[in-house]
Amino acid sequence: MDAVTRIQQIGMPRRNNELWTFFPVARIPNVLSADGDCLHHASLVAGSANAPRNDKQESLDFSKENDFAALLPLAKNARTMVRTIPEGANEMAMLKCNDDFGHTVLDIGKGAHVSLEILDNKVQHEIVAERFDISVGEGADVEIFFANPASDLPLRFRHFRIRQAASSTVRFSNILTDSGIGRISMDCDLDGEGASFDYRSLSILDNTASMHQRLTIRHNAPNTVSTQLARNLLSGSAYASYDGMVVVGEKCTKVNSGQLVNTILLSEGASVSVKPVLKIYHDDVECTHGNTVGELDAEQMFYLVSRGIPAAQAQRMLMKAFAQETFLPLPETPAKKRLLQTLSV
Amino acid sequence: MLSIKDLKASIEDGTQILKGINLEVKPGEVHAIMGPNGSGKSTLSKVIAGHPAYKVDGGSVELDGKNLLAMEINERANSGLFISTQYPTEIPGVNNVEFLKMALNSKRAFLGLPEIGEDEFKKLCEEKMQLLEMDERYRERGVNDGMSGGEKKRNEILQMAILDPKVSFLDETDSGLDIDALRIVANGINHIMSPEKAVILVTHYQRLLDYIKPTYVHVLRHGKIILSGGPELALKLEEQGYDWIEE
Repeated sequence: MDAVTRIQQIGMPRRNNELWTFFPVARIPNVLSADGDCLHHASLVAGSANAPRNDKQESLDFSKENDFAALLPLAKNARTMVRTIPEGANEMAMLKCNDDFGHTVLDIGKGAHVSLEILDNKVQHEIVAERFDISVGEGADVEIFFANPASDLPLRFRHFRIRQAASSTVRFSNILTDSGIGRISMDCDLDGEGASFDYRSLSILDNTASMHQRLTIRHNAPNTVSTQLARNLLSGSAYASYDGMVVVGEKCTKVNSGQLVNTILLSEGASVSVKPVLKIYHDDVECTHGNTVGELDAEQMFYLVSRGIPAAQAQRMLMKAFAQETFLPLPETPAKKRLLQTLSV
Repeated sequence: MLSIKDLKASIEDGTQILKGINLEVKPGEVHAIMGPNGSGKSTLSKVIAGHPAYKVDGGSVELDGKNLLAMEINERANSGLFISTQYPTEIPGVNNVEFLKMALNSKRAFLGLPEIGEDEFKKLCEEKMQLLEMDERYRERGVNDGMSGGEKKRNEILQMAILDPKVSFLDETDSGLDIDALRIVANGINHIMSPEKAVILVTHYQRLLDYIKPTYVHVLRHGKIILSGGPELALKLEEQGYDWIEE
C-alpha cells in the first residue's frame, strides 16, 4: 500500500488519536480535501494517485504505518536518497534534504562507526516533512544528531524509523529551538540481542513555539537497552510535549529501559505535557520513567547572585548548565562537540 | 565599616527571627558570633545578603555608610560583602573556575574596572588555590558539585580570596572540616584578612578561634545579641555553655 492511500485510510491527525494527543492538530493543513490542498501538490488530493513516485517508494508497504507524519513526505512524493555505509566503515556525514519533503534511507553495515549530522534545508513552503529509514547492522556504532539554528518555519515534521541489529548502538541527540510548531516522531526497533538506543533531546523554546516528541521504542530482543532524556527550557507561552512509549516483548529478558523528562518553566505562560507509556510483556526487566517540572532553583540563583553576578546573567548560567547536562554523558565524539558548541554561544 | 542597627527580620509565615540586632564592625576586626541552635545566626547572614526568604521588618545595615538593604543582592556583594553559608549550594554544570571569573568580572564591572585578563586570572587562581592547598580537580568541577563538606568550605574560602571582600560573614565555616582542613581554611582566612577588612565568624566551637583570634565575641540568642565580650568569652562559653547568661 502506498503512502497516499494509507493517509486516505487513516485520515488527518485528530486529538483523539493517541499519536497526536498533545499536538495542535488544527494547525495542520487538510491535505485530503480537494479545496483544502493548500500545499498546491495535486498528488495528495484524493483521486490523484497516478502521480509519479520514485522506485524506492514503490517497494515500501505502508499498510501498517499509523503516523501521518511518517507518511506525509512520501505522499508528497519526496525524492528518496539512499545511502549505504559498508560493513566496518568509519564515516562522518552530513545529511540535508533538497526539498521541503525528504526521504532518506540509510543502510548501515555491520561494525560500521558512523556520525551523522542532519542539517536543515532552505524551505519554500509552510510545511516541511522529512522521513528517515535507518537500518543499523550488527555491532555498528551510530550517532545521529542535529542542532540547527532556530528556524521560524510554521510547521515541521521529522520522522525516524530505526531498526537495530544485535549489539548495535545508536545515540540520537538533538537541540530544538524553532519558533514554529515542530514534531519529532520516532519508531525504534531493537531487534537484535544487546542492541542499545540512547535518545537525548533539549528543547529551548520561547514565545508561541510548540515542540512535540513522540517516541515508540520496541525491545524485541533480550538484553536490549534504551534510555530517553528530554529536557525543556520554556519561556513565553511556549509549549512542549513528550509522548514516550516503551514496549518490551515476550521472552525479552534483562531489558533495561529508562525515560526521564525534566522541564524548567521560565514563565507563567509556558507549559509542558508528558505521557510515559510502558507496555511490558516479560517479568525480568527493569523499566523506569520520571518527569520533573519546576522553575530555576531559587537557592542556586541566590548563590550566584550573592557572589555579585547580575540576576539575568545568573539565570543564563543556570539555563546553560541545565542544557549542557543533557549531553555531558555522551562519549567524546563529533556529536557531543557540536551539541555543546551550540550551547556555548 | 559594617553597621547593623536594630535589625529585625521575619520569615514568610510572619515569625520574627531577628528581633533587634545591633553590631558595629570596624576595619581590622574579627567578630565571632556564637549561640545555641536556632538563635538566628544563619538568618542574620542571609538577611544581610538579601535572601528572598526573609523580610526585613526594621532597622538598618550599612557598609561604609551605604544602605545595604536598599541594594540588589549582587550589588551588596560587589560593594564588598561576602557571605558564606553553612551549607554551600551545589550547582552542577556551572564550572567552578568560570563561575569565579564571572563573579570577579561582575565586581570589576561594578567598580568600573575592565575584565581581568586570562593570564592574570589564571595566576590569581593558582596563587589562591595553593594558599588553600586545593588540587587542580577543583577547576574542572561544578560549583560545590559532589564536594564533601570540607571541600565545599574550602571552595567558599577560595571565592572569598578571589573576590577580596571588605567584610566577610562566614557561617560555620569550621563545620565538616577535619583537623588539617580546619588549619588550612583558618590560615587562608588569616592570610586574606588585613587591617582594611573585617570578618564575622559564626561558630559553635572554640577550635576555630584558636586559629583566628577574635577581637570580639558575641552571644546571639532568641534573635538578639545578649552578651558581648573579648576572646575570653568564647572560652567561658566552651566550658559552661549558654545557660548561665541572663537575657
